[in-house]
Amino acid sequence: MIRPSTTVTRGRHRRRSGWAAYAGAVALVVGTTAIGAAGRAVLDVPDLEMLYVVAVLVSAVYLGRGPAVASAAVGVLAYDWFFVPPVHTLDVADLRYLFTFGMMFGIGLLVSSLADRARDAAVRAESEALRGTLLSSVSHDLRTPLAAITGAATTLRDQVVDEGTRRELVEAICDESERMERMVKNLLDMTRLAAGAVVARREWVPVDELVGAALSRTETLLSRHRVRTEIPAAPELVSVDPVLVEQLLVNLLENAARHTPPGTEVLVRASGGPAGLHLEVSDGGPGIPAGDEERVFERFHRGGRATGQGAGLGLAIARAIAEVHGGTLRATARTGGGASFRLLLPGGGASPTVPPEPDGDPGGTR
Amino acid sequence: MDDAKDLVLVVEDEPQMRRFLRASLGAEGYRVREAWTVADGLREAAAEHPDAILLDLGLPDGDGLDLVRRVREWSSVPVIVLSARGREEEKVAALDAGADDYLPKPFGTKELLARLRVALRHARAGAAPGSPILEAGPLRMDLERREVTVDGRAVRLTPIEWRLLTFLASHAGKVLTHAQILREVWGPNAATQSHYVRVYMAELRKKLEADPSRPRLLLTEPGVGYRLADGPRSAIHR
Repeated sequence: MIRPSTTVTRGRHRRRSGWAAYAGAVALVVGTTAIGAAGRAVLDVPDLEMLYVVAVLVSAVYLGRGPAVASAAVGVLAYDWFFVPPVHTLDVADLRYLFTFGMMFGIGLLVSSLADRARDAAVRAESEALRGTLLSSVSHDLRTPLAAITGAATTLRDQVVDEGTRRELVEAICDESERMERMVKNLLDMTRLAAGAVVARREWVPVDELVGAALSRTETLLSRHRVRTEIPAAPELVSVDPVLVEQLLVNLLENAARHTPPGTEVLVRASGGPAGLHLEVSDGGPGIPAGDEERVFERFHRGGRATGQGAGLGLAIARAIAEVHGGTLRATARTGGGASFRLLLPGGGASPTVPPEPDGDPGGTR
Repeated sequence: MDDAKDLVLVVEDEPQMRRFLRASLGAEGYRVREAWTVADGLREAAAEHPDAILLDLGLPDGDGLDLVRRVREWSSVPVIVLSARGREEEKVAALDAGADDYLPKPFGTKELLARLRVALRHARAGAAPGSPILEAGPLRMDLERREVTVDGRAVRLTPIEWRLLTFLASHAGKVLTHAQILREVWGPNAATQSHYVRVYMAELRKKLEADPSRPRLLLTEPGVGYRLADGPRSAIHR
């Protein structure tokens, strides 16, 4: 599952639960009784009643329904014992006090349920606000290329332009459509991963094939970087979902291409075996600001030097894919500058064997 | 262009897609017939004998894959599947059902025309008497003399590697699924052992590629299978 990097901070709304809340309610009543006893000289019996009501209200708002009822019960007993004549008995001289007791319970129940509802509403409002932020971020990211496409296409339809301008506008339409396609794909991938709808379909794959497929797909993007690979010569099989891991690797390479200047080196180091897949993509760019090593994996996070491409989902998707495999993906600063992304995917045990064949004759004679 | 008058049947229910396909195929000199449903597509395919079919999978009256299976009962016309679904399982299903190629939407004209040319060429090569020489980019295989060269350099292959490479080279430019390769090279009993293919592909790459971790010839289609790059020959047309 995806790390809830942008989820609502529910902790603030969560009320204390269990015995601590009940202890708090009882403590409130004890405190109220102490205040009442201290102020007995100046306070009338009905005033004391108000003090206990305050205790019940406080319990209801801050501690929840159970503790509120508890504080009403203990409060009624304390009030009756200490203050209601005849004092130091639980006898009640006046029926009016029974009404008071009922009121205290009623207030406790009513206020605590109101407080519950208010808390739920606050949580809902926050997740609405979050959804709103995501939506506005997404719609901005999608509208930007769409605006360029619409602009260029309507110019071509409605105006007479010279050949140079025409070519430029057509190029803009192609480039921006491609950008939009990438974003839509990322958004769909992210949604599927976040919904837990993706399961790793593990197969035994040689490590160099995973790296090779990702490097061919990013060839144009990395054409101005020096790409170096360090992969063991013997084919090491790892048990991973080849489609997902290739996607993960492409995202790391795209990230490197986007955040590092042309001419710098991108190093891909990979090894595998029964213990799993270990993969590292390091670059010689400006690196990641200290303290941002986790933030780069947040959805819609964009590094400062990003060239306006993408919706800031690539690394979030990469990490989600690692997690689908029960593995980890971390970013670290590289000694001597640059960023390094390390992937560890636990393995699927002993790799399967391939039946040997008799030594081939030269030229492949059967 | 030699295939300029070829007839292409477009089976697609989206009018804007048909408009785009009609324009780009027409500009290239192809004749175009259009159908919007599985039923129409089947009728057109039977009546018009197209040289190639471009097929959308999500059609109003059924799944495009049914059309592939039905057409395959009586014709080997190249079928290129166009689909917006884009999931690897669907690509594999389309190829295993008998489609010759798969193009995920959205795609560009250049890509479409390149795939169409490859499909048409294979169809013609299949009809003509087989040549003992297979060529794709820097790769040259002489089937009679059992010789393989890359850029003129002789390469020694084991029997399985030879069978694997022959299969790929005789379908250069076309994606072959793991299942198709396993059936052809290892036989029907190995159909689920996709790691056989992967291990032997890794070995082939070591022998044929300048840098096996950055293949130019033996390309991986993740989750689907492999494709032998068609090399400069088709690049001349682009």
